[in-house]
Amino acid sequence: MTTKKPDLNGLLFVLPAIIMFSIFTVYPFIKTFQMSFYSWDGISPIMKFIGFKNYKDILFNDPLFWKAMLNAAIITFLALTVQNLVALLLAVIIDKGVKFNKFFRTVFFIPPILSGIVVGIVWKWIYDGNYGILNAILSFIGLKEYTTAWLSNTKTALFSIAVVHMWKGFGWGFVILLAGLQTIPKELYESAAIDGADDFKQFIYITAPLMLPVFFIVSILTILGTMQIFDLVYSMTRGGPAGATEVPVTYIYKYLANNELGYATAMAVIFGLILFSLSIIQIIISRKLKKT
Amino acid sequence: MKKFFTIFCFLIFLFSCSPKKVEKGVVIWHWMTDREEVFNKLAEKYYKKTGIKVKFETYAPSDVYREKVRAAAQGKLLPDIYSPLGDLRELASFIKAGYIEDLTPYMEEGWKNLFFDNILRQNYYDKDNQWAVKEGYYGVPIDVVSIQIFYNKNLFEKAGLDPNNPPTTFEEFIEACRKLKTAGIQPFVSGFAEEWLVNVFCQSFEWQVLGEEGIIKTIKGEIKYTDPRWIKIFKLFEKMSNEKIFAEGVITMLNKDAERVFATEKAAMALNGSWGINVYKGMNPNLKYGVFLPPKLKDARYPVKIWGSSSFLNVNALSQYKKEAIDFLKWLTEEEQQILLTKETHNIPSNKNVINYIEDENLKNFASNIDKIFPTLPILEHWKVVSLKCRGLQSIILNQKTAEEVASELQKLKDEILKEQSL
Repeated sequence: MTTKKPDLNGLLFVLPAIIMFSIFTVYPFIKTFQMSFYSWDGISPIMKFIGFKNYKDILFNDPLFWKAMLNAAIITFLALTVQNLVALLLAVIIDKGVKFNKFFRTVFFIPPILSGIVVGIVWKWIYDGNYGILNAILSFIGLKEYTTAWLSNTKTALFSIAVVHMWKGFGWGFVILLAGLQTIPKELYESAAIDGADDFKQFIYITAPLMLPVFFIVSILTILGTMQIFDLVYSMTRGGPAGATEVPVTYIYKYLANNELGYATAMAVIFGLILFSLSIIQIIISRKLKKT
Repeated sequence: MKKFFTIFCFLIFLFSCSPKKVEKGVVIWHWMTDREEVFNKLAEKYYKKTGIKVKFETYAPSDVYREKVRAAAQGKLLPDIYSPLGDLRELASFIKAGYIEDLTPYMEEGWKNLFFDNILRQNYYDKDNQWAVKEGYYGVPIDVVSIQIFYNKNLFEKAGLDPNNPPTTFEEFIEACRKLKTAGIQPFVSGFAEEWLVNVFCQSFEWQVLGEEGIIKTIKGEIKYTDPRWIKIFKLFEKMSNEKIFAEGVITMLNKDAERVFATEKAAMALNGSWGINVYKGMNPNLKYGVFLPPKLKDARYPVKIWGSSSFLNVNALSQYKKEAIDFLKWLTEEEQQILLTKETHNIPSNKNVINYIEDENLKNFASNIDKIFPTLPILEHWKVVSLKCRGLQSIILNQKTAEEVASELQKLKDEILKEQSL
């Protein structure tokens, strides 16, 4: 019997990737977790071990962190519903083979590839209370009473950001959903049509069940992507006015900027665990639904 | 052959990761990209004079610069000259970690006499400072900036106000705002999305009502934020909010946005720093404006004070070119170089002997008020309290909270922090 010698050449070729992955992913992950048990300003050579104090403070004594979580959850809920419904609707229309569908496909995918900071700055101008084109349009069409400083009003600021986030994000969902729709055999629709099923029934009985795995992928990506929203909020409001648009990542960033690395990393760990749990729950539900 | 080739590839990978060779000379990291040209001019001049190469590297915006400095500190990769861009608390961390050189021996040789004392003391630690840093001077000011209120003379005239007599008291200020509003002009703008700016405006009232002693007592917990004096300060913001003096969207405006609003004559007054002179020159060269001090309160116990600071540069204590770095900073703060910096950057020089070379009338006004800059306090308020205060002020401006509510929230947080500190 001969035993196969391990292929050293192969190992050498993957070594750079392993080194990179260890340096840029594994080490920061371990370091973040370790730092969350310390009080440290990021500069001092001495790190003070404080056990679970940071975790205790965040969980039981930091309402602003949970307010930031709630704000992110509101945007996520809107993205999950409105954004994905729009994406699905457009994907279904394009899948039907409308004219210029290639052009529309390209246009819908432009917002997701734009830089979040640039999009934030452009929309900040659109929403501006002094120069904003949105207020100008509202005034022009006789709706002057609805003009406001959209991002400075605590009642409208969060929803204004959510609108931009959805505008920027629906293209991703559109592309994935369209790819999913294109895998459904056309014969199924033809048979259903012969049996007298209208478009709505075809959607309910053919499209929806077959698209279930795709819906879950889009949902997971939407939740993970939206809960971690940062660039838009930072460039549009910096978490203001008076904390009305604070989201977890801007809140963590604030602590980092004030050299509270221990507390910031503890928040990052808690936030990461929440996102991880949400993903697991979704996967479990997805599997159960598949079985039924 | 195959094995040889594999090892060859691996070695190439390893060597491609070797550190970049660093050019010899003094390296300076700065955060103001608009000064790059004049800095390079000065570096060239210095090279011709001494044969020592000085390289300015600029990184903007300032928060990115701050992060870069902190990351470099952790990797012990700081340049020869830099600035942590922080308050005394943050500077203390760098000093205690051995990243900033004590400049006291050089300052005591007479170097310190070039500078405004109240500015130089912003990077100075007293004997019994709360951070236990060795007493001394740790930074070199390159120029001075302070914050006052800019006003548009044309818009003042349009509203029937005297463009040569801006308001001096709070009552006059409110009255001017009313007249501007009646004329359909937004009275006041500032980048209040940036917490520090709303804090600066509030501090100008704090110093008048509480004075240095009162502010220190508040930080120590001996005066509560629910004290009538603090409520009175917060009520001023309530008053300004009720009078609707603030421009549309002021709470989410960055200072850059606010500068644009003022420069395009969409608001008549702007709380901004002396750097605004250069900014407005670029945005609207024909803008006719003046500057005045924050309004004086009628029954204030203390004089009007303003926020002021300097572009401090610190020398890396671990640098192998420490002596060269200090020599360059000494040269940079000499009269000739300071005159060039003032003329090219339109900033107040840190060398007090150069003040007379300022040509711009408004910059002269700023320079004449350097003595009114807030003195450096021996202790600092916790950043969380400051942040909550700023958010509270934003809420008052938005008419969401009353002065009393903000005061009570602040005191609650202050109590928690004091309790934690006592443990």
